[in-house]
Amino acid sequence: MSASARNLIRFLCASLFIMAAAAALNFTVDPLQIFRPARLFAAMYSNDSRMQDAGLIQSQRYDTVFMGTSLAIHFRQSDIDRLLGVKSLKLALNGSSSREQVFVLAAALARHPKRVIWEVDDWIFHDAADIDSDVYMPADLYRRNARGFAGYLLSGNMARESAWIMARSIPSLEPVVARLTNGLMFKFSISGVDEINLLRPDFDVAGTYNAKQAIASFRHITDPARSKYLADDTDYDMKVRAFERDAVGLIAANPDVAFDIYLPPYSILQWVALRDTSPVTLRSVYDFYVYFCRRLVAFPNVRLFDFRSVEEVTHNLDNYLDVVHHSPAIDMKILDWLAEGKHRVDPAAPTAYLDRLKAQVEAYRVENLSR
Amino acid sequence: MLFNSYPFIFVFLPVVLLGYFALGRRSNLAPVIWLALASLAFYSFSNWQFVLLLLGSVAFNYLVGLLLISRRLRAVPRFSVLTFGVTGDLLVLGIFKYAGFFAANLNAMFATGLVANILLPVGISFYTFTQIAFLVDAYRGKVAHYALPHYALFVTYFPHLIAGPILHHRDMIPQFESAESKRPNPHLILCGLIIFGIGLFKKTGLADGVQPLVSLAFGPVTPSFDRAWIGALAYTFQLYFDFSGYSDMAIGISLMFGIFLPLNFNSPYKSCNIIDFWRRWHMTLSQFLRDYLYIPLGGNRHGPLLRYVNLMITMLLGGLWHGAAWTFVVWGALHGVYLCVNHAWINYGPAVAPRFARAANIAASILTFLAVVVAWVIFRADSLTSALVVLSKMADPSHVVFGRGEVLQSVFIMSYAAIAWFAPNTQAIMGYDHKNRTVGEQLSAWQRRPVFIYVTAAVFVFGILGIQQHSEFIYFRF
Repeated sequence: MSASARNLIRFLCASLFIMAAAAALNFTVDPLQIFRPARLFAAMYSNDSRMQDAGLIQSQRYDTVFMGTSLAIHFRQSDIDRLLGVKSLKLALNGSSSREQVFVLAAALARHPKRVIWEVDDWIFHDAADIDSDVYMPADLYRRNARGFAGYLLSGNMARESAWIMARSIPSLEPVVARLTNGLMFKFSISGVDEINLLRPDFDVAGTYNAKQAIASFRHITDPARSKYLADDTDYDMKVRAFERDAVGLIAANPDVAFDIYLPPYSILQWVALRDTSPVTLRSVYDFYVYFCRRLVAFPNVRLFDFRSVEEVTHNLDNYLDVVHHSPAIDMKILDWLAEGKHRVDPAAPTAYLDRLKAQVEAYRVENLSR
Repeated sequence: MLFNSYPFIFVFLPVVLLGYFALGRRSNLAPVIWLALASLAFYSFSNWQFVLLLLGSVAFNYLVGLLLISRRLRAVPRFSVLTFGVTGDLLVLGIFKYAGFFAANLNAMFATGLVANILLPVGISFYTFTQIAFLVDAYRGKVAHYALPHYALFVTYFPHLIAGPILHHRDMIPQFESAESKRPNPHLILCGLIIFGIGLFKKTGLADGVQPLVSLAFGPVTPSFDRAWIGALAYTFQLYFDFSGYSDMAIGISLMFGIFLPLNFNSPYKSCNIIDFWRRWHMTLSQFLRDYLYIPLGGNRHGPLLRYVNLMITMLLGGLWHGAAWTFVVWGALHGVYLCVNHAWINYGPAVAPRFARAANIAASILTFLAVVVAWVIFRADSLTSALVVLSKMADPSHVVFGRGEVLQSVFIMSYAAIAWFAPNTQAIMGYDHKNRTVGEQLSAWQRRPVFIYVTAAVFVFGILGIQQHSEFIYFRF
């Protein structure tokens, strides 16, 4: 055998060995807890929900799944459990489409929870890219197929996190590693599942959620230079198509699961912004909600809640970070309302809350904002 | 199919290599046909709707080329055939690449309501230019008669098809014709794997790693001074490691087949002036533009004024080649201006005293790098307006964030700069000499060879471990 051939074999063997070592490290530490709940090493979690949820679905015990967008991201699982008497798993995804949400929910429902609590915005229903083209969603890991496992085990990023988690489990290194773990360098920086995507304890809630911020956001989005995007959201047919494919498809396929779907309390400014800059969009959104409500109340396994016209919340702009995102205090109110069955849509009058909202939007005067 | 994907590395490449060498034992032609078919399969994995266009382009140019090398054709008809061939190529490129841009500009000026939503076939700019060079050389009488399979492979050869390097027929077809390349050569396979591994690491470890920082300048939020610089520098290094990584991978793959591809990068950010930069960045495009545009326009043969005009035309068209958008035109124009200034400085600028030569060189390198970064901002931005916003923020130190995150990001960027400025490039590490068809000569004599093998194996594996779900090369869209 020539020296070149020997070198080639040496190179290939060394490559295989290093790859096997990285895969073994990822398998042993299993940062996402894909194969087993953490035992050998301390469990660590990441705020990257699209990735983290694939592991949470497998490693956690739950009878209720909580889904939504950024409006549901800061809920604390232990609050949900305490107020609703369930064992919940929060799977909310920032900026998600209905396609992504339903894909994740379907994976969670494979473990047979009894209930889904689902925060729904109309804008999640759009022609989102196919889930396999979604670069942020490790779809094969949710599917638990060979490609997903291979991608996970052969991931350099995971190997780095694994090494970090391993180092953190060594008592003498733990304080130093914990101090260096800040989310900037290492994704798995959270030590408790309840803490995922929570606002930090030192977070300035009052300084972030207040009328000044909400009004500034309103001024920003209604500025003629920027308000054009509000008019983009007018494709009623597209929304209905995505709604039927994703939400209705999932609900119909799981008749034994109870779906508590709620429409979150946006600030009144969200609707007023549409009213003043793009009435066509507002009409389209109203029309979609009429369809949405009528369709959902027909399902025996759905309870629909509409919090959009709860005036004491939506008109108090101190509750908001911008025109839609509400404060953690409102998270608690929402859980209370769900527990008490308040603001539940009556199947006999599915658009009653919507009609009330329309009247509020019609009556609201922007001039009040300056006072 | 992407080079940085498991199916390519673990299935496609080994299968094509095995088939190529297995067929090479039987005949000299069969491996060429096999490689051409494999290249079409490679292209059709993600661009199946454009395979016919690619085949049509190959057939069209091959026939026009045959006419051009025919000795029976006289001068005037030959020129007409050349004009027909080049016009045909440019027309197809124009329709697929520039029709939308043209319609949008017409709309902006005359509100015509014209709409042209045409998908861009991946690699069209590369295979069109490759074939225009072939036609022009055929017209100049510099082309021998090539067999169709060799010509088809020259155009479709999968290591270069999507994003170059832009190949030259005189360089490639003799290699495809050679019987030697059809026998497996462990040395070339090893060197190919190492070069491929370095390229893969550049892409998945470096370019993809810095990519999130790019949005600091080019994201939805107007950046501060420091974030604009971090984002602009991040893009500067992302583009370099992405494209030079792709080129390394192409060279490495090709080397496993015993074929030497031309170099495309030579540490461009080490340049001490813009002329030097264009000799080091996307070298095969620069050579193409020089040989088939700048020199035919007259080059520097008609006085300094026309030389500057020719430079501007060449760079404007070079900019437009990258994409149908005003940002690319302005980027090309800016580099045209840079080149004119550089040439004028060489001709009319003051001479530097020898004792200041080193300091002047360092200053020139820094200035060149900054000029390139400014131009990349225009190249990367979605529109000229957003480019101006980023550039204005880069020039406005009154608004600075520089928190803990920005400090860490700056350190991160500096590590990239250190690699780009001070590390040896791939061809220096591997002793790759395209002209003399040699590579890794020092390997056999080197005492620390095993260490080198293990380190490069680690780099290769880190490249594989860095593969993310789907990460296209930036130059795919050109």
